[in-house]
Amino acid sequence: MSMTTKLTIEHQKDTSIDKLYLHGYLDMHTAPQLESSLDNLIKTGRHNILVNFRGLDYISSAGLGVFMVFIEDVRLNGGDIKLTEMKPKIFTVFDLLGFPMLFDISENEIDALAKFAP
Amino acid sequence: MNGGIAMSVFDNEQCIAQIEVAGTADSLESIRDFVRRYAVQWGFSEEQAGLIALATDEACSNIIRHTYKNDCSKNVSLAIQVKNGQFNILIADSGAEFNPLSVPSPDMEQYFKMFRSGGLGIYIMRKVMDAISYTAASASTMRNTLILSKKLPS
Repeated sequence: MSMTTKLTIEHQKDTSIDKLYLHGYLDMHTAPQLESSLDNLIKTGRHNILVNFRGLDYISSAGLGVFMVFIEDVRLNGGDIKLTEMKPKIFTVFDLLGFPMLFDISENEIDALAKFAP
Repeated sequence: MNGGIAMSVFDNEQCIAQIEVAGTADSLESIRDFVRRYAVQWGFSEEQAGLIALATDEACSNIIRHTYKNDCSKNVSLAIQVKNGQFNILIADSGAEFNPLSVPSPDMEQYFKMFRSGGLGIYIMRKVMDAISYTAASASTMRNTLILSKKLPS
């Protein structure tokens, strides 16, 4: 096995919104990495978080679970974790479990950004 | 078949391929690649093969996390079997008996209301596969075996 990074998380910080760009795959092995990124943001009082899935090629329930851990806390603080630009195979997994019921999932980033409270 | 090799757990099951990996989370990628490759070879679309690999990942994630508790000295064995029009993935572990089928599927509306997390793997396995069976280890097999089945595409 190669030592390439399995999940890369690129963070762009705007004045009010933090954007996380995921690349690679999100499974039980890499989920703790995303959990710690989100935890660090939320601990510093950042509650408007956009997660862009453009570069993500795989997600399992361990990846979905990470969003469940934080969504309540973020919303209680007036923010949200909004999800965008999923490949069809990624959206299929969210959809399989009914996650669009709970999460705001947009096709493109501009739409997702516009949905954050001003 | 050569009965002397370590990977002979499934020797009597007429399997077309098998692998044995360490019972750790970093094995999941090779588990998925193995299953996806054979699913495509047997006629499943890329999308279907991806979902079958996902269901297998969920089964193995449960074994690694709950049965083995990340004990890296334990192995997980997988085999592909094509039999009676079914594409079967056999997954064997040497941990304590745990039948995933004993876990009820969650009501997702309640699940979201309670902001729960975890416990969704078995639900995914049930949604993706056509049939799932579990056989606890016996004195002769020494392994618990989970079989995930999907009807071959026509």
